Amino acid sequence: MRWWATASIRVRLTAWYTAVLALMLVVYAAVTFLAVRHEFHEQLEEEAHANAELAAATSPEARVEQQLDEILLVLALGLPVVVALAGAGGYLMARRALAPIDQLAAESRRITADRLHERLTVPNAHDEIGRLAAVVNETFGRLESSFDQLRRFTADASHELRTPLSVIRGIGELGLRETRTPAEYKEAMGSMLEEVDRLTRLVDTLLQLSRGDAGMLRLSRDVVDLADLAREVAASLNLLAEERRQRVDVAAAASVRVLADRSVLRDAVTNLVDNAIKYSPAGSTIRIHVDGGPERATLTVADEGAGIAPEHRDRIFDRFYRIDEARSREMGGAGLGLAIAKWAVEANGGQIALEPAGIGSVFRISLPRATAAGKSG
Amino acid sequence: MVRVLIVEDERKLAQVLSTALQAEHYDVVVAATGEDGFYRASAERFDLVLLDLMLPGRSGLEILKTLRQRHVDTPVLILTARDGVEDRVLGLDRGADDYLVKPFALPELLARIRALLRRGRPSDVFRLKVADLEMDLVARRVARGDRALDLTGREFELLEYLLRHHGHLVSREMLARDVWKEPRRATPLDNVIDVQMARLRRKVDSDGAPRLIHTVRGVGFVVREGEP
Repeated sequence: MRWWATASIRVRLTAWYTAVLALMLVVYAAVTFLAVRHEFHEQLEEEAHANAELAAATSPEARVEQQLDEILLVLALGLPVVVALAGAGGYLMARRALAPIDQLAAESRRITADRLHERLTVPNAHDEIGRLAAVVNETFGRLESSFDQLRRFTADASHELRTPLSVIRGIGELGLRETRTPAEYKEAMGSMLEEVDRLTRLVDTLLQLSRGDAGMLRLSRDVVDLADLAREVAASLNLLAEERRQRVDVAAAASVRVLADRSVLRDAVTNLVDNAIKYSPAGSTIRIHVDGGPERATLTVADEGAGIAPEHRDRIFDRFYRIDEARSREMGGAGLGLAIAKWAVEANGGQIALEPAGIGSVFRISLPRATAAGKSG
Repeated sequence: MVRVLIVEDERKLAQVLSTALQAEHYDVVVAATGEDGFYRASAERFDLVLLDLMLPGRSGLEILKTLRQRHVDTPVLILTARDGVEDRVLGLDRGADDYLVKPFALPELLARIRALLRRGRPSDVFRLKVADLEMDLVARRVARGDRALDLTGREFELLEYLLRHHGHLVSREMLARDVWKEPRRATPLDNVIDVQMARLRRKVDSDGAPRLIHTVRGVGFVVREGEP
């Protein structure tokens, strides 16, 4: 690396400015000097012409040369002084101008992971430094919210993992406290195993999500007929709907094909329909609607349940987020169904959203359509 | 007597496995290290090897590869904590006959062991019978005593699977994979299985007849005469 790349901006700025100034001054001085000399010589010639008969006693040429030498001396001595003064002034100016950056750096360094709520002071929002500070502040904002999310996720995950563990432990300790009948032991162990099952599934789901986050899951690209997929999911969950005297209706346009990993996408739709069945009243209808635009295909799942209150809408896809903790736990969920659905749809290049709806809730999955050139399947 | 070699370094797991297999009347030998396992598998005769992949000293995959190179073709069931597709493929490619991901359910392990031991023998049974419950798989007729049962397609498959594992526990994982053909088990499917099982039970175990389908809490289901 050259020396100037390692010097501070302030030094580089001053050096450039001084060099350019010196060059300009030298050129300016040289031009001035030459012009003055030219002028003197012309005058001299005119005078010589006019006073031709007067033979000059003193040589005017020698006098002019002397004056020119004096000018040259002044220029040669004055120029470095002017440049030096201007350089020093520039150096000070640069310090003043760049001081806020040093301050910014010092402030940023103070904002560590546990002080992410702090922000940089913005001295003047309109200049370059102010804009930089604003950008850095926005970055801190995003960092803060992702740290918050991570913290919440860790807290939720450890809660979810610890709950079954403490149940298992409690049952075991209780069982050992006094002698019980074989039937009671069987009951206790069965209930332990249920918790183990819950733990296993939770760990599986978390692993799947974190592998997805890390980009370690390789998804296949199949041509999936969304109508087929919708009917398949409806058929597989129909039994659950029947139990609650609900109907699962599928309305689908013909051959709406997308490129996606079939089983992953199916998980997403299954989770949506399962939620719809769980959270709508007995006797209601769950509607799956498949439609294809020119570029995107959509699949919506609409139910006639209570819907989702506005305050929950933003976080409904967050991991472990539950609207009604007690109720969904009772139904065996860990609050990961929609998070999985979101991950599954986005991993396939689509979007999932909760649509505003009059009654119930409407989830919309939108995916890019498979091109006509794609394989048929 | 069927001899099974367990190569597993985790002492408690080895103990659980050996107890479970002995309860099923297998003759069990436990090897706690890769070296010991390899030595026994090549020197003695076993009908089946349960092989842990992560072993101190010699890895399970290495043992498997060397055994196969030496033409020891005892069926090998791999137990692994890694559930990546690559790991499974690697294991099966090296000559394993089946694999099971930890933590596994014992009923499933036992069912897979039975399946491996049964291999090569025809299982062409067209009639299944437990107590007074009879299934004709060709005519697709089911009767409890002299009462004919009207089962849906899925109920029929479910009952057939239960009867084929008559007397043995069947877990929800096994049902999900073998009857519903779903490779992944998810909560919705578990609920579907439970509802389907409840319906099947209403048809099979009604009218005061002795119960045949039993739920074993935390494990799964079993078809058996009398209490489980």
